[in-house]
Amino acid sequence: MSVAITITVNSVERQLEVSERQSLADFLRQELQLTGTHLGCEHGVCGACTVLVDGASSRSCLMLAAQADGTHVTTIEGLAQHGELHPVQRGFLDCHSFQCGFCTPGFIMATVELLREIPAPTESEVRAALSGNICRCTGYQSIVQGVLHAAEELK
Amino acid sequence: MTSTAGRLIGQSVPRVEDPAILTGQGRYVDDIQLPRMLHGVFLRSTVPHGRVVKLDVEQATSMPGVIAVLTGSDLAPRTHTMQSAIPVPGLARPRYGPMTMDRVRYIGDPVAFIVAESRNLAEDARDLIDMDVEQLPPIAGAADALDATLPPLFDDMTSNVLFKDKRTMGDPAAAFEAADHIVRERFRTQRVAPCPMECRGGVADYVPGDDTLTYYAGTQAPHAVKAALVNALDHPAERLTVITPNVGGAFGQKAMFAREDVTVAAAAKRLGQPVKWIEDRIENLVSATHARDEELEVAAAVSSDGRVLALDVKVVLDQGAYSLTLPPTTFTAQMRAILPGPYKIDNIGWEETIVVSNKASYGFYRGPWAAETLVREVLLDRIAQTVGRDRAEVRRVNLVSLEEQPRVTGAGTTVEGVQAVKAFERALKSAGYAELSDRRAEAGKRGKLLGLGIATYLEPAPGPSSYWTAIGMPMPGERAVARLELNGHVTISTSQAPHGQGHETTLAQVAATELGVSMASVRVVYGNTETTPFSVMGTAASRAATMATGAVLHSTRAMKAKILAMAGEMLEINVEDLYIAEDAVSPKGSPDIRIPLGDLAQAAWFAPPAGMEPGLRTEWHFEEPKGGWSGGTHVCIMEVDPLTAETAIIRYLVVEDCGQLINPAIVDGQIRGGVAQGIGQALYEQAPYDTDGSFLASTFLDYLLPTAMEIPTIEIEHLDSEPLHEVDYRGVGEGGMIAAPAAVLNAISDALHGAPLSELPILPSKLADLIDKLDTNVGSL
Repeated sequence: MSVAITITVNSVERQLEVSERQSLADFLRQELQLTGTHLGCEHGVCGACTVLVDGASSRSCLMLAAQADGTHVTTIEGLAQHGELHPVQRGFLDCHSFQCGFCTPGFIMATVELLREIPAPTESEVRAALSGNICRCTGYQSIVQGVLHAAEELK
Repeated sequence: MTSTAGRLIGQSVPRVEDPAILTGQGRYVDDIQLPRMLHGVFLRSTVPHGRVVKLDVEQATSMPGVIAVLTGSDLAPRTHTMQSAIPVPGLARPRYGPMTMDRVRYIGDPVAFIVAESRNLAEDARDLIDMDVEQLPPIAGAADALDATLPPLFDDMTSNVLFKDKRTMGDPAAAFEAADHIVRERFRTQRVAPCPMECRGGVADYVPGDDTLTYYAGTQAPHAVKAALVNALDHPAERLTVITPNVGGAFGQKAMFAREDVTVAAAAKRLGQPVKWIEDRIENLVSATHARDEELEVAAAVSSDGRVLALDVKVVLDQGAYSLTLPPTTFTAQMRAILPGPYKIDNIGWEETIVVSNKASYGFYRGPWAAETLVREVLLDRIAQTVGRDRAEVRRVNLVSLEEQPRVTGAGTTVEGVQAVKAFERALKSAGYAELSDRRAEAGKRGKLLGLGIATYLEPAPGPSSYWTAIGMPMPGERAVARLELNGHVTISTSQAPHGQGHETTLAQVAATELGVSMASVRVVYGNTETTPFSVMGTAASRAATMATGAVLHSTRAMKAKILAMAGEMLEINVEDLYIAEDAVSPKGSPDIRIPLGDLAQAAWFAPPAGMEPGLRTEWHFEEPKGGWSGGTHVCIMEVDPLTAETAIIRYLVVEDCGQLINPAIVDGQIRGGVAQGIGQALYEQAPYDTDGSFLASTFLDYLLPTAMEIPTIEIEHLDSEPLHEVDYRGVGEGGMIAAPAAVLNAISDALHGAPLSELPILPSKLADLIDKLDTNVGSL
């Protein structure tokens, strides 16, 4: 069964039919080939699938594509502009924030929202805000450094 | 100083891997989409032990969008059965197929593979399969496995014991006779799941016309996966390629091929189309490998001043149902070989029992032998209590000093170049060990119990040849190939298969430094069995820092020699008078005379000098050097709230002795990641089976991975060291995970006035019980 939706992904508006039961994550990855959004658990705990839906961080594994009708979705692929890294991406690059990179897009999207809401977070605030994203490689310290560095850049 | 001490060595150069990863352009196995690609999902057993008496796939097969449903019987004529690959004397090596023919032996055991046009359709079809399993009483754990009245899980075994061994090293009996004290404890470590953020998967691309099979595998060892598929499928090796794309973490879970890989490849061959398999997290938690399911009974023979005269260890390791390619004796052999750590423990009694059970396989997980550090470091604290000495003093009298090295341990390994004493003293100083009682008093005023835990460890990274002899495996060398490209850049081909370790960066740092060129002039390639040197190990066992670096260093050095030789010919100047800078060869003292490497490369390819083959290519096989141990001391300071049983890590400090660092940020990242996993094992994670065989942690709601709020700031100090060898970079991949559980456990025990703790994880309920037993008035601490 399919449903017609209008969805803007990374500033490109599309009108198309989606399967009623397809998750937003699967839609982005399979229909739009935007594979930067990753699936780590498909039950809403790990945050690897985090995208921004109308600016708010959302677990795309728990949303249906149909629920994104009429929204603006930003994925990791939509952050860098004209080959220039977004300051959050830049901050993470400078601070060796990631290792295997699988959790990375989710962290970056969550951080974009965090720094928009709290432009100068303390380390505690960073850790609390990112506690919905799991990383198995880094022990988090380099990620926190990256966020704080990005916050400086964004000032 | 080594000749590799140069511009880029020791620099936290930003990773070359990152621009792609940070922009979502990483290419992990599930990102691979091929034309006509089908999707397969597994039907898995939901009972721990049984016989499949009915498997009706007809409805599933005829569902629209379903291409095929394969069962064990379909695969049997197309595949060979498997067993663990090394014929260790006394080890039972039961055979098994990629999917069962009739008996299921763990919850998650694959029974059928449903291939459809989409993953959703395959999952729908899976629900239509009518499977009846006649349940059999489970071998739910080691106790059942050791019960000789219960039938064997495998027809080619007579019991559920895979291996038993008893041996002594030195004279433990005499030591126990002479001991002033004998300190005993039983340890129980819980099953944990490695949980890389990317689950396992593969894409098999088979082209019937030329019988070529390409398998995209999320693996640590592409050549090992190739070998497994060649053997299991009888597929011509010259027509089978394994390609490792980006891998989203592994920690040992992807070090061996998975049975599922064989099924996926067989399906692609049968159907003549690409087939993708990606497990979901439930499958990963339930049916991928687990680790650390061990019981250890330990006794220490101790003198009155706290010296450890002997250790006696009896370990039971529950391997789960199916053995991996590398036999389970590898785990216990490693524990035995590393048990003495950097201490003077010369007499060891060792008894091991490895059993099968109806559980997922016990597999490799970051520092697989870590139980040895746990039992030794906990015991040292108990010994201190028993003899009435400070636990730092007890460690001091047992540690091997640098002056006493090289020294052969009771396990037959040689300890050389190990600065355990220096690391230990530095850690205690940095942690403020001398001021501990003041800190305790201060915490007491706030109503908290404060404890400090110490753990000192040694890890083979890669370990000297005596270590490899002690574990009964030949020490594998490592190869690298260097090739000069048409533009004068250099491609380095490595058999490593990084999955977060940053080898594309660190190995480029080594090559660029040796050659005298910029990072941009070097490209490191990995992961394709066609274009990388053969290695059965891939990225595992903390070997890259030494072995891959050594191979790259020497192949690059040989490349440099060839480049200078050729330039010398062209310029008619002695090679000793030439050098490379700014991507060109110049005579010393005449930097304005330059042969750009690009020009030299063009000449090398199109008009090589007489007697030289076209292009410049070098290869190096690097064998292990002396030493090869990393190690150090972890100190964990924790507060325990006696009212709520909550714990908080106030400080976590690592003093690491790992030789020279190529990229400090990458090294520290490895240490911190390991510590985080160790904290997870100590306090949060468990993948338990119930006594009736049910599995209790199939989602992240039960399996608690630590988040940024649970992992503290981890301070790291590195020791300088005198290199024993030019290649003085030693691995650190595993150490964090090895020492952290012991450091945390010792800290909590110390907070609870030395209350004995010997089981992991330390859950709040357990802590609450211990706190209740404490004879203490919090207000007067």
